[in-house]
Amino acid sequence: MERYFEDVDLGDEIGPLERAITDDEVVEFTTVSGQGGNRPSRFTSDEQAKKEGLPGAIVPGIMSMALLSKLLTDWAGSVDVKLLDVIFRQTVPHNQSLKLHGVVTDKREGEGQGTLEADLYLDTAEKGHHITARAVFTLSAKD
Amino acid sequence: MVEEKLEFDQSLLGQEVEAGSFEVTREQILALCKAVGETNPLFTDEEEARRRGYRGLLAPPTITNLLIRSFNRPEVKVNFGSLRLHAGQAIEPLEPICAGDHLTGRTSLKDVYTKTGRTGTMAFIVWETRFTNQENTDVARVRESFMVRR
Repeated sequence: MERYFEDVDLGDEIGPLERAITDDEVVEFTTVSGQGGNRPSRFTSDEQAKKEGLPGAIVPGIMSMALLSKLLTDWAGSVDVKLLDVIFRQTVPHNQSLKLHGVVTDKREGEGQGTLEADLYLDTAEKGHHITARAVFTLSAKD
Repeated sequence: MVEEKLEFDQSLLGQEVEAGSFEVTREQILALCKAVGETNPLFTDEEEARRRGYRGLLAPPTITNLLIRSFNRPEVKVNFGSLRLHAGQAIEPLEPICAGDHLTGRTSLKDVYTKTGRTGTMAFIVWETRFTNQENTDVARVRESFMVRR
């Protein structure tokens, strides 16, 4: 849907986007991103991840970041992202239910476009916030 | 608290190096969208992107993350631990990036430091990259932070 600056209020919720990231989806992403594709890596192989001291294969940080970007664009439509600042607090596992969501934290008027800020999160029920992010973006004003 | 002194290649600090040039392709944009289920028509429908005033198919904001993965970066040679994890990433899109654009990435080592928390001491390595397009216009800045654990 197309969302305009006037449609948004402080405290508005963004999302949620609820999904798991499967092994196959990570393989597909790492092929696109050049992070290994089908070669065993911490992203695609439990065995390799454990050799590196991780509990199991993990989702690449930049894949999670792309999903947080999608959370915003799903919610807003024609959003112009000015900043997406992400902190990876815990590794993100494959095949577990994830909840991506956010909340609008600031709203500033501007000529033609207004600027908004939001806090975004990628959570699991078990461990809470795996990723936290701050997004700054603009939405068009209604004509 | 006195933080641990790290050994690393300090000659790299603040030195901007050209790390790679890339053509942003329609195929790459569509592959990224497919891989994360992105369906926004600005990123998947070239006609719609042009109708909205863009030069061509618009790249999602995180496209520069993919380009950075193929960088040739000098080795920092941090003498600390072995488990390296991605600690943080910040993307600042400055101008739209569209299919057909040619981007150049210039990267510099910004900081290397330690922090001690509940789980022990960690080392952090921070890189900053700016991307320019074929008209030498800055189109994005990216800051990456990597954590090294013992």
